[in-house]
Amino acid sequence: MSYRLTLAETESYLRKAARASGLDWGIAEEAGKTARWLAAFDLPGPETMLSHLQNLAGRDYAEFIPDCDTDPWQASGGLLCPVITGAALADRAAIMLEGHPIKLGRTAYPLLLAATLGQAARHYRSVFVTCWAGVRVDCFENGLSIEGNRDSLLLAETDHVCCCHEEKSTPQQLPSTRAYAIDEAIFRRIDALAFKTYAPATEESRAGAGAGLTDND
Amino acid sequence: MKDIIDCADNNPMPAAAAYRRPPEVVMRLARMGSFHQTRLSFMRSLLRRLKRENWRFKRNLWAIDQQGYGRAVYTVYGPERAYSLVAFSHHLPDEMRSDRVIATAWDATFTLLDGVPTEADLDRLELNVPKQEAGRISDSELSLSRANRSVRLWQHVIDRLAAGQQPEREQLESVGYLVRTTAVYGSGKFGAADRLTICERPELSGPFQAELLSVWLTRAFSIDLVEHIARARGGDQAVAIEPELRRRIGVGNSTGLGMAPFLVNHPALLNNWMMAREEAFARVRSLPRAETDAIEIFKQHFAGARFNVSQWHSEHPIQVEKLQALNADLEKMAAYIERESLREDHPWDRFYRWAEENLSLEGQEQLLSLMLEPYGDLVDDLTQCMDADEHVSFFIDGSMPLSRLREIVETQCPWALAVDYEQPENRARFWYTSAEKLEPRVGERFHEPGAEYELPLAIGCAIKQMHAALLAWEGGPTTAEFLLAHPEHRHTVRRVQNLAARPYAEIQDNLISADMLPIDILRCKLSFFGATKFDPRSDRWVRICMYQDAPFPHEWLEPAP
Repeated sequence: MSYRLTLAETESYLRKAARASGLDWGIAEEAGKTARWLAAFDLPGPETMLSHLQNLAGRDYAEFIPDCDTDPWQASGGLLCPVITGAALADRAAIMLEGHPIKLGRTAYPLLLAATLGQAARHYRSVFVTCWAGVRVDCFENGLSIEGNRDSLLLAETDHVCCCHEEKSTPQQLPSTRAYAIDEAIFRRIDALAFKTYAPATEESRAGAGAGLTDND
Repeated sequence: MKDIIDCADNNPMPAAAAYRRPPEVVMRLARMGSFHQTRLSFMRSLLRRLKRENWRFKRNLWAIDQQGYGRAVYTVYGPERAYSLVAFSHHLPDEMRSDRVIATAWDATFTLLDGVPTEADLDRLELNVPKQEAGRISDSELSLSRANRSVRLWQHVIDRLAAGQQPEREQLESVGYLVRTTAVYGSGKFGAADRLTICERPELSGPFQAELLSVWLTRAFSIDLVEHIARARGGDQAVAIEPELRRRIGVGNSTGLGMAPFLVNHPALLNNWMMAREEAFARVRSLPRAETDAIEIFKQHFAGARFNVSQWHSEHPIQVEKLQALNADLEKMAAYIERESLREDHPWDRFYRWAEENLSLEGQEQLLSLMLEPYGDLVDDLTQCMDADEHVSFFIDGSMPLSRLREIVETQCPWALAVDYEQPENRARFWYTSAEKLEPRVGERFHEPGAEYELPLAIGCAIKQMHAALLAWEGGPTTAEFLLAHPEHRHTVRRVQNLAARPYAEIQDNLISADMLPIDILRCKLSFFGATKFDPRSDRWVRICMYQDAPFPHEWLEPAP
């Protein structure tokens, strides 16, 4: 059964789900934005982010962090996290703007990584391209183009990724602002993960929030 | 959409810059908790637009039974689009009536629909809107809200009208509303249309315009409903409320902690609200003279403010004290106006500087709000600067040198660095979301469990920790390199970078200290909405009045065919 998740809800749920998976709030915010950005193009951002977050569970997060001084970038554990690597890429967008592509080694869920560059494209009003396994994703200031093998979009991992800056052109697709249709069972799993960021009720919390006076007045 | 407010661009008077109060004066909780509504408040800018653009009004449906239960539709028609309040009125046993956001049933529930609803829309909405958070609305709806009756006034008004008499003025004015809303949700919540859907529409691009339109129409519905019930009961004997008395009825609102994190979570928006407001004050203070008609308008509003303060009651010790101070301030202001006549050079600036020396924060802020009243031509354009695209301010500039990041902290955040967060009283609280009701709460760090669920709202403390990490950093010179090693500071770096372009983006107080009052944050936000009669029910819970004395749709707008 399908559930309609608004973009604001998508961002909020996935931010919390990422936080519950052990990411710091600032990185979790990137995860929320990334899921939202993909959902606006009707791509399975929330579902893919959930899959990635589930893989992180119980792992030492440090092993997913990129060493940005190597070429290509590598994670000490052998597999790059697309969220923290995407954030590191966005932080180095100025280097790509100067014409230097950045290459990555083995990377989990490269679609999430590509989407993280959507924030940089928006900020610099420019185009950032991510290529892997025969597919190319162009992030525009306010749009998206996909060329090549679309079957590669949802790969759980890939061995090589290349990111670079591109001259402006016209995007194939503009973002929607409408709610994103997601399988309800998957949404329930996201919701359950996000729920772990909420504190269980205590007597103090119940007592402290309201006026403690009658409302029949 | 505008990114950063640039008042210089549409500023007809560069001289105003010298009169702008700096963030370290304005962004303090004690002052923010003393704000009053102004001409720039969102309710007032909404009504001005509806009038200016010749919007039209029609009550498109009234299917309410003799007991007052059923559904109704109120539509406003603009130059390009129409919006409809869809209202459902329900039977609610007294024991279920609660203002808490955690209630599960209400006297009436509402949604603002984008357009004019069909019968099928109404049937769909009737299955969802009465359930509020437990239901789902769609991309076609812009808000979701509910209201409970003021039991003390509701029955009195019906009894009087049914008997052919007007309500007691004193009782009506002391309450100020027939229904009290709790949450008014918008912007993608519970399935409603995302903010991006409406942010390019001029009529809804300003903050909370859809939500406040729904509240304005809710007010009209509440009065139609009591008159309807009174007619059903009193028959030919029943009367309507006299128009002048009717105006005294607003809509109440009960607000708790759920609203407080909003201002912290929307730093770009907070900056733009504050800058627009401060720019407006500065423009008026920079005027070399006050013309006779401006002084007259000011005096009328001053008299109105004195009356409204006389009608403003609270039983809460904090507000009782503030109200006493405000009353004393108004007396002093009256004497000043009498004495000085506002004819000297730069009269408004003099008046304000006198107020800084002689009045409480309540009085100072009240004076500033009143000073704007004669000068719509000078300040109303600033409402165009009060929206913000938070997505744009999200991006981190990884190429920023760490020396620059440090400079921003050290020049713009001394308020954060000055606090010793090792002292228990300076980190006595923590903000979290309650699993029980999915609402923000404040906990006592040393007396309650749950601090591991802390939300990133302890901004000052986080800035100080980031600053310490910067001082200890021995790696590369850019923000990107620092953040790769310190992902735990990413949220804070985002905020600090944001401050460089948006100096009013942060509340310059410790949000986790033992003496922090959440109602100060609530009052600041609600004053921007245009609320009056702040009546705290605790240090984290406040009742207010909205749209009291405002015109009604049928008075303000021409009828739609």
